[in-house]
Amino acid sequence: MRRGLGFGIAALLSVVGAHAEPWVAGFERFHAAAPDAAGGRLLYNELGCINCHGGDTGLPPRRGPDLTTVTTRARAAWLQAAIADPARQRSGTTMPDLLTDHDAAAAAAVVHYLGTLARKNPAPPKKIAHLNAELGKIVYHTKGCVACHAPQANYTPPEGRPAAQEFSYGPATFPALAEKYVVTTLAAFIRDPLTARPDGRMPRIEMEDQEALDISAYLLGIAGSDGEGAPKLPPFTASLALAQRGQEIFNAARCAACHPSPSTPAVPLVPLQRPTGGCIDETPTAGLPRYALSSTQRAALRAYLADRTAPVTPAQTVQGTLAALNCLACHERDGQGGPDSARKSYFLGDHNLGDTGRFPPPLTGIGRKLQPEWLAQTLAGKNRERPYLKTQMPLYGAAVTQLPALLAASDARHETTLPAGDVAAGRKLLGTLGGVGCITCHPWGERPSLGIHALDLANLGRRLQPGWLRDYLINPAAHRPGTLMPSFWPEGKAANREILGGDTDRQIASIFAFARDGQGLPEGFPATSAREFELIPGSRPIVLRTFMADVGTHAILVGFPAGVHLAYDGRDCRPALTWKGRFFDAYGTWFSRFAPFEKPLGESVVAWTAPSAAGGTRKFEGYRLDAAGVPTFLFSVGGVPVAEHFEPGENGGLRRTLAWNLESMRSLPLAHPRGLTVQESPASTPGKLEFIYTWP
Amino acid sequence: MKRLLPLAVALLATGLRLIATEGYDLQTILTGNSATSSRHAQWKPGDGLTLEVSGLDFMPDGKLAVAIRKGEVWLLDGVLGPPDQVRYALFASGLHEPLGLLRDGDSLLVTQRTEVTRLRDTNGDGVADEYLNAAHGWNISGAYHGYAYGPKRDGQGNLWVALNLDMGERTNNQAAWRGWSGIMGPGSSFLPMAAGTRSPCGLGANAAGDMFCVDQQGTWIPSTPIYHLRKGAFFLNPEGIASQERPESPLKLSAPVPNKVPYPEALRTLPEMVPPAVWLPYHKMGRSGTDLAVCPEGGKFGPFAGQFFVGEFTDAKVSRVFMEKIDGEYQGAAFPFLSGFASGVVRLLFAPDGSLLVGMSSRGWSSLGTRAYGLQRVRWNGIVPFAIQEMRALPDGFELVFTSGVDATTARTVAAYSLKSYTYLYSSAYGSAEIDARPLPITRVTVSADRRRVRLQVAGLRAHYVHELRADGVRSANGTPLAEPDAYYTLNRIPRSAE
Repeated sequence: MRRGLGFGIAALLSVVGAHAEPWVAGFERFHAAAPDAAGGRLLYNELGCINCHGGDTGLPPRRGPDLTTVTTRARAAWLQAAIADPARQRSGTTMPDLLTDHDAAAAAAVVHYLGTLARKNPAPPKKIAHLNAELGKIVYHTKGCVACHAPQANYTPPEGRPAAQEFSYGPATFPALAEKYVVTTLAAFIRDPLTARPDGRMPRIEMEDQEALDISAYLLGIAGSDGEGAPKLPPFTASLALAQRGQEIFNAARCAACHPSPSTPAVPLVPLQRPTGGCIDETPTAGLPRYALSSTQRAALRAYLADRTAPVTPAQTVQGTLAALNCLACHERDGQGGPDSARKSYFLGDHNLGDTGRFPPPLTGIGRKLQPEWLAQTLAGKNRERPYLKTQMPLYGAAVTQLPALLAASDARHETTLPAGDVAAGRKLLGTLGGVGCITCHPWGERPSLGIHALDLANLGRRLQPGWLRDYLINPAAHRPGTLMPSFWPEGKAANREILGGDTDRQIASIFAFARDGQGLPEGFPATSAREFELIPGSRPIVLRTFMADVGTHAILVGFPAGVHLAYDGRDCRPALTWKGRFFDAYGTWFSRFAPFEKPLGESVVAWTAPSAAGGTRKFEGYRLDAAGVPTFLFSVGGVPVAEHFEPGENGGLRRTLAWNLESMRSLPLAHPRGLTVQESPASTPGKLEFIYTWP
Repeated sequence: MKRLLPLAVALLATGLRLIATEGYDLQTILTGNSATSSRHAQWKPGDGLTLEVSGLDFMPDGKLAVAIRKGEVWLLDGVLGPPDQVRYALFASGLHEPLGLLRDGDSLLVTQRTEVTRLRDTNGDGVADEYLNAAHGWNISGAYHGYAYGPKRDGQGNLWVALNLDMGERTNNQAAWRGWSGIMGPGSSFLPMAAGTRSPCGLGANAAGDMFCVDQQGTWIPSTPIYHLRKGAFFLNPEGIASQERPESPLKLSAPVPNKVPYPEALRTLPEMVPPAVWLPYHKMGRSGTDLAVCPEGGKFGPFAGQFFVGEFTDAKVSRVFMEKIDGEYQGAAFPFLSGFASGVVRLLFAPDGSLLVGMSSRGWSSLGTRAYGLQRVRWNGIVPFAIQEMRALPDGFELVFTSGVDATTARTVAAYSLKSYTYLYSSAYGSAEIDARPLPITRVTVSADRRRVRLQVAGLRAHYVHELRADGVRSANGTPLAEPDAYYTLNRIPRSAE
C-alpha cells in the first residue's frame, strides 16, 4: 500500500468552519441574501423545529437518521462524540446541541442505549473482492454526488476545476469519514441511504454494489485493491446499566422527536408560545436545543413564525419542496436553480447533444409536461429517459409522495384540445420517408436513431401530455434553452405541407397518436438488427466459433447473406444445425465472462444426425475462405483428406459438397438433416458428392 | 477511429502518471471504457474498436498483430509513432476467445479455446484466408474458465501452450490436460509436458531459451508463482492431475498429494513437485500475474536486460524479476516496478525499439485501472532509476547490485536494511497467508569499492522460504532513497560455499 495512490481527499472549497451554521442548501442559495418567511418556513421544516413544535409547512418531513441500526453502521466512539457535540463532529449539521456542556459521559450512555435498540444486521456485508478508489473518484464526481457534496481537489473535470467563488452554496460536509465508518458500512449507506435516512435528504443514486464500494474506498482514502485488508467495524456491546441512563437522557432530550422509531415512544409536541426567543435566541436558555444559526437564518425564522398560518400556494409549496430536497441543484424551475457555475463543470454527457446532453431537464411546467403516472414513476426511479447524462436522477423515497399532485396543481392551465390524430400519418411524420424525420436524431425503443442519439420517442404517448407537446414542437427552444432541436412547425405553421394538408394540430396529434396507439416503427429505419450484437451477413458470409447447444464446444457458425445459415461441429467434423432468417446474436460469445451455450437466432432450425463412425477417426484440419469469404472445411477420415463446402442453394435451400480422393477412400459415411428435402445434384459423382437441402 | 481520438488524447494527460519508478514514461495508444463495471453480467464495450488485448506480436513489416478477446486479430500500423497516427486493420475474425498470438514464419499462430490455429493470408489482400488447425487434443467442457494460452517459442524451437483448469458450470478437470502445459507436436497434436498449474495465463522464454510460465493465486496456489516449465514437472495445483493416467503423460506422481502442510514439507513428500523459481507475494506484488516478457539486450529499456517483466491484472501493475541459477535451478528476486496502468495488464511485449507494449482488459474480474481495455506503451527516457538491479543469493546472505553507486555511509549501516523470511501453507484452500515468518538478523554489511554492490551477511537463511528485504535506509550517491526499497527473494536453494 505504501506505493499506492497516496491521495488524501481535499475539498476544492475550504469548508472547515465555513458552515458553522446548519447547512440547508435551498436556504443558502435562494433566501440567505434576503431572509423572508418562505426561507423561514424551509428552515422551520429542515432544522426539525416542526418535529417538536408542530404545524404544517407542506414540506416533506425532515427526520434524523434511523438510530436503531446506527451502532451497526458507525463506530461507537464517533457516535459518542457526535452526540456530545454534533457541530464539532460534522460542520453544518442540522442536529442541535442537546447535552449540557458537551457531556461525554452522557453521550456515551446514549450510545449504549442506542446499542440496545440495534437490530441484528439482516444481511451481513459480502466479502469484498476488490476496491478501486480511482474508479470511485470518477463515479463520485460524475454521478451526481457533487450536486450536494464538495468536489475534491484531486479530480479535474474536462473543463478544469472551478474557482471557489463560483460556488453559489456550500457543500454538504462529510464528518471525518474514517472515524465514523468502515468501507463496508459506508458503501452500504451510499448504496442505499434511504434505509438509514428515510427522509430522502440524502437521496439514493442507483448504482452497483461495486461502485458504492469504490466510492467508499475513495472517500476513506484506501489505495490499493485489497478489500479484505480494510478495517472492520469494531463490534459494540451495549452495557445495560449505562443504557438505562442513556435512555433517560435520550427521553429528556426528546431525541425521538427527530429520530422516531418503533422502539421509542412518541414525543409530545411543545406548542410555540411566541415567534421569538427560545431555541432561536442567540443564547438560548439552558436545556433548550442549541442551533448555531446565522443571523439571516434567525431573521427568516422570525419572519415565518410571525405568521405561520399565512396561506401558501401550491407553487410555493413546490418551490419549498424542491429547495428542501435540493432538486434545484440540478434542475432549473421558473428561472430558479439549475447547476451553479461551479458545479456545471461536473455535469458530463454526450457533447453531440449540446447542453441538453449534459444537464438535467428544467422542471418549469413539468406538471403539465409529463403525464401524471409517468411523473410519479420517474420520481420512483422507474424511468431513465436520458441515458446520455452521466449524472443520474436519484430517488427520494417517501419525501416525494406528494410532489406529482403538487406539480400538477401548480402547473395546471387551460390546454388547447388537439383534434383526433391519424396513426398512419403520425408514423409517416416521425419517419424519414416524406416525414419530418424525428428518427434522424431520436431513437425509437431499441432502434438507434440514424444520427445523433437524443431522447427515445417510443414512449412519447405515455410520457408527455399532448398540449405541452404541441407547445414544445412549435418552439422547442422556448421550453429547453440550448436545445439543438429545430421547429418543424415554426410559429405554428407546418413545414411539411404534404401530410394532412399541413395542419399543425392534426400533425402533432397524429405523432402523439402513433406513439400511443401505433404498431411497428416509424418509416425509414434500415432493415437491421433488433439486437445490439446481432450479426447480419452483409456482402460476405460471417464465420465464427462459439459454444452452441446441440452442436458442442467446437461450433463454427457460418451465416450467409442469403439468409440460410449453418453450425458446423469442428470436433466431429460434421454439419450439426442449419436454419433460416436471422443468423446469430454474438453478445454472449464476445462479451459474457460465463461463455453461455448459444442458440441460433433464426427459425426453421434442423439438425443432422451424426454420421456413422465407419471409415476411421475424423480429425479437423481447419478451413479456408474463398474469394467470396465462403469457408471450405477440411478434415480427414482415417487419414484421407476431405473438403466439405456449403453455400446457399436453390429455393432458399443449402448446397453441400464433399470432395475426397476416391482412390484413398471408396465411400464416406454421411448423414442428412432431419426434416429437409434431400436432393442429390445431377453433378454429384463418387468422390465429389453434391446435395441440395430444401425446407418443406 | 476518429471518434475515439479525443478520448485517447484526454487520457494521455492522466495516463502519464506512472507510479513508482522514475525513468519511464507511459503513452496511451488506445483505451476504451464500458458503461458497466468489469464484472457486470451485461458488460458492454464502448464505441470503436474493443481492444481487449489478449495477444501481441510484431509482423516482419513492423505492424503489430493484436489478438482481442472477442475473437479478432488486428494489424496496427505505426504503434511506435504518434498514437493518433496509428492505423487499424482487421486481419482475422470469428476466433473463439484467443488468448495468445505468435508470429511463425509467414503465419500467425493464435490459441483459441479449442486449438492453436495457423492464420495465413495466402492471396496478399491483407486479410487471413486460411484458418488451419495447428494443435489440439485437450478437452473443452464448455466451462467458462477453460482457457488456453500461448504459443510461445523456447530456445529449442518448441512452441509451448498452457491450459487453464476448468471452473464454474460444466467443469471437468478429469478430462484431458486441464491444468497442464505442453508443446505443439507433429500432426497438429499437443504433447503434454508439465502438470499442476491453475491459471497459467502467461508464457515466456528467457535469454537462455528456457520456458517460464506465470500462474495465479487460487486453490492450492498460495501466491503468484513463476515456474520454469520442463518435461515431467508437477507444480502446485493437483485438480487436473487425473490426466497423468493417459498414455501420453510424461509424469506420474509417486506419492499422494499432501494437504495443509507448510510448502517446504510438501516439497519433501512429493518428489515430482518442482518449486516455482520465484514467488510474487500476494498483495505486496499485486494479485494475479498474467504475462512474462524478458527485456532484450541493448539497454534500450534501462539497466534491466535479461530480466523478466511480469504483467498483473488486479492492481494493473508490471513487476520486475531477476533470476539466477543455483545448482542448475532458477531462483531469484521480484521487485515492484510500475503501476498506474489504465486497465488490467494482460499481455506484455517488448517492441523492436526497446519500449514495452502493455495490452489490457479488465472484463470479468476487477482491476485498479479505470478503463475497460486498451493498449499502452512504456518508454525508457534515459534516466537510470536508483534501484536494486539484482539480488543474488550467497551461502551466508545476499548480494545486492544497485543500478548506480550507493552512498557508502548509509549503505554500510546494518539498520538500513531489514530482512524476514516466510513460507506458505500448501492446501486446497484459496491462497495462503504467509506462515512461519521470522526476522533475520543482518550481521555484517560490506560495500564494494565501486559502490555498486552491497553484501549482506545474514544469520538463519531458510531454504524454500521467501526472503523479504527492505532497504529503505540506503541512499544513492546523491542522497536519494530507493523508489522501491522492497525485494522478495525465493531462496529455493542456499548456494554452497566455494571451499
